[in-house]
Amino acid sequence: MHNVVIVGGGPAGLSAALAAAAAGAPVLLIDSNPRLGGQYWRMPSDDVGQQGEQHFDLETGLILINAVKARKEIEVLSGAQIWSATHKDGVNTLRVIQNGAEKIINTKNLILCTGAYDRTLPFPGWDTPGVMTPGGVQSLLKGHGVLAGKKVVVAGSGPFLLPVAAGVVKAGGEVVELLEANNSARWLLSPFVMLENVGKLKEAFYYVKTISQVKVRARFASAVIAAHKNSEGNLESVDVATIRGNFKIKKVRNVKCDVAAVGWGFTADTSLAGALGCKQIVAKDGGVVVSADGNQQSSIPGVFVAGEITGIGGAELSMAEGVIAGINAAKFVGCKVEVLKAHRKRRAKRQRFADALIKSYPIKDGWISWLNDQTVICRCEEVSVGNLKYAINELGATDSRTAKLLTRCGMGLCQGRVCGRSVVDLVASELKISPTDIDRFSAANRPIILPIPLGVLAAGE
Amino acid sequence: MKNPDAIVIGAGVVGACSALSLVNAGLKVLVIDRGAVASGTTGAGEGNILVSDKEPSPELTLALRSRDAWFELNTDIGGGFELEAKGGVVISRSQSGIANLKKLSAQQASCGIKVVELDAKGIREIEPHISNSVEYAVLYPQDAQCQPMLAAAQIMRAVRKRGGAFIQGENVESINTKSGKVIGLSTDKATYQSPIIVNATGTWAGAIAELAGSYLPIMPRRGFILVTAPAPKIVHHKVYDADYVANVASSDADLQSSAVVEGTESGTILIGASRERVGFQSDLDVAVLRQLARQAISLFPILSNIPLLRAYRGFRPYAPDHLPVIGEDANVLGLWHAAGHEGAGIGLAPATGELIAAQITERKTFMDPTPFSPKRFKQESNVAI
Amino acid sequence: MSQSSLEFTFDDQTITAISGQSIGAALLAANQRSLRKTRFNNNDRGLFCGIGVCFDCLVVVDGVSNQRACLIEAKPGMKVQRQVGSDA
Repeated sequence: MHNVVIVGGGPAGLSAALAAAAAGAPVLLIDSNPRLGGQYWRMPSDDVGQQGEQHFDLETGLILINAVKARKEIEVLSGAQIWSATHKDGVNTLRVIQNGAEKIINTKNLILCTGAYDRTLPFPGWDTPGVMTPGGVQSLLKGHGVLAGKKVVVAGSGPFLLPVAAGVVKAGGEVVELLEANNSARWLLSPFVMLENVGKLKEAFYYVKTISQVKVRARFASAVIAAHKNSEGNLESVDVATIRGNFKIKKVRNVKCDVAAVGWGFTADTSLAGALGCKQIVAKDGGVVVSADGNQQSSIPGVFVAGEITGIGGAELSMAEGVIAGINAAKFVGCKVEVLKAHRKRRAKRQRFADALIKSYPIKDGWISWLNDQTVICRCEEVSVGNLKYAINELGATDSRTAKLLTRCGMGLCQGRVCGRSVVDLVASELKISPTDIDRFSAANRPIILPIPLGVLAAGE
Repeated sequence: MKNPDAIVIGAGVVGACSALSLVNAGLKVLVIDRGAVASGTTGAGEGNILVSDKEPSPELTLALRSRDAWFELNTDIGGGFELEAKGGVVISRSQSGIANLKKLSAQQASCGIKVVELDAKGIREIEPHISNSVEYAVLYPQDAQCQPMLAAAQIMRAVRKRGGAFIQGENVESINTKSGKVIGLSTDKATYQSPIIVNATGTWAGAIAELAGSYLPIMPRRGFILVTAPAPKIVHHKVYDADYVANVASSDADLQSSAVVEGTESGTILIGASRERVGFQSDLDVAVLRQLARQAISLFPILSNIPLLRAYRGFRPYAPDHLPVIGEDANVLGLWHAAGHEGAGIGLAPATGELIAAQITERKTFMDPTPFSPKRFKQESNVAI
Repeated sequence: MSQSSLEFTFDDQTITAISGQSIGAALLAANQRSLRKTRFNNNDRGLFCGIGVCFDCLVVVDGVSNQRACLIEAKPGMKVQRQVGSDA
């Protein structure tokens, strides 16, 4: 019998596991990856070997991972994916697939640390092999020791572009362009926040130094707005535009490359929390996140949430939240332990930094002007902008859910994880209305969290 | 639209077809839905257009006409809803089941349904991946399918192009009557005058009848459909177990399920159909999903590796005698019902629309509509169900 | 550090992977960018999110389709095929 079950082995989950175990609670840590660390500290196999130069702060990650492995109270279930979860009468049932077989885990006390993935925006040609997310390029480097391409364009918005560009450089690739859609150094607008988060400055400096050593110059107010393929169907070049504050195009030029890593911040993966019925809210950046109180408890008593699913804020905020969630979950099962003032202070400081970041990297809806009717929106079901417009203008769809059901947009294997958010914005833009929270929640709702082979489903009890 | 000749409540496939038939008959029609097009039961159905699951009855006459009407409609409005005459294959694996199936298909044949008996070899020629345990089946070439949401949306598009109006997002709060006759209705936003109201609200039809001070015993029955990831073409027809026919007619409250498996034009495979009488309870019931998966694999073992992607939960509206309700209200003149089609609403919709429009405009109907009349319910005797 | 390597096939090509690498990473290292053809427009697709979210890097592994190349660890002797539509 495990008293505390934690889902996710990244910064939040590892911190939560250690905090709960230190308080005396036995812990079961469920992680979808083969090795702990999450996306942030993605760990390679022993044979691939540690890609140390890819991390700014690998030490912290290794300390947490080794501490978790060393603790007898913590059992780790790796390579385990949850396909379905329900909450009934105070008990949470998690249906987990590991090595092709299903395990059922029932628990009253749960900490969800399911993290986030790259937010993408569609653009013409974004489905060409060679166009990737920055997170994808980084995971290939950190986890598999593979450089995605020789000539790489890194583009989009947000501070995550820096470590990805630096990683490519350190692995011997050429960053032909580093493009930030927003204006330069906007985060210096909050000097107080920067001062109290001075560690973040060091991190930024670490990446900037790497990049500047090979004379990569970051361009601001610029974006990749189209991708072109060669005769073999692979990426050959991208169109780079200088853009206005509202993201509308000013001037376009063509840049040769074999990989374009394009990302626009992150989207929280709230599917599991949603399936359990945790209350969700729409964050300032339009993303759906899980609502948490000061104790990191969700709307369901005994279900705690920490890290990116409560709002995109980076690894350090995730760790601060994870510790508080871990302590409170242990307390919930009867351990004598209290959250310290220092824990709350640390979380508050990191939260102010995260808030400043979100303000500094807004995504403006001028990106919609980059698209044409042929542009693929739903990569899985190959639904185009034109198909969506037909559903709205001819078939009378007046909300994104209906537009989706009439076009299959967002109904493929990724279950709308990639396009869901963009579709809500696009449909609203076409209808000249603002997206509602209901549209946003509906796009993030996945009662079946992951596709499950029918044979595995049939074999379960 | 000012002073419509008729207002249709509900933009599901039955409402859309009723509106189109009325527009085609020359009426000024306003359609009102509290949500979006096809946002109720229509949006949670497989799109069945079946004759194979009907026993000889007035419903079969309706189904036969409706099946042809779908193809006429497809030509009339220009398609766009994935209508496909894929054919149904009904199997049975027990001695008694096979005997019953033989008897039923013979009766159906005598009513004009095309039936083709298949032996073990014949089945494998048209469904190569079917389980070895299947040795007898009947092919119903007339069985068809469409994508029901697209169908409703395309029909509503035609209604608008032909002069009809469509208001979404308004909830009907009262049916206004004067001396036992409909004079219009009020929504949460406005009041509309009209001497004719068509209640095509499916599962919620009883509530609309009640607003008019009348009574209609329509209840919800929950059904699940599993949708797989896109798969290669491995299921060519709608293939189902003969138990399904018994199931549709069942009055048991417990979970009823029997395998119904079919491929679709978009590549997904649909697996149904379970029916339970649990009111409007809509939790994801994993036990039902597992049962449906097991039954589907028992028909097509190759499905084992195909991933489940979604599960629809829909509420099928049914009347105590399992016949649809098509006709004028027993108590309120000008209030017409087109509801209670249970799991057959998509298939029966065009003929329902024709029956409704013909009666409202006092034209000749293609069949005697009496068996479907709401007047068949006596308020006192059915309340307890 | 010693790296133990292994071999698998991608259609009729032999691919070498380091033990622990994903199929997708090994294929990219071998300069195989396009992993499948889409089912409606027959377009090429490859690794996109790299972390199992997008389902774009689908391949057929030992006869089973819709497998995410970015997640599945390469094993010796594995038979990987380009997915065309929903099948090999």
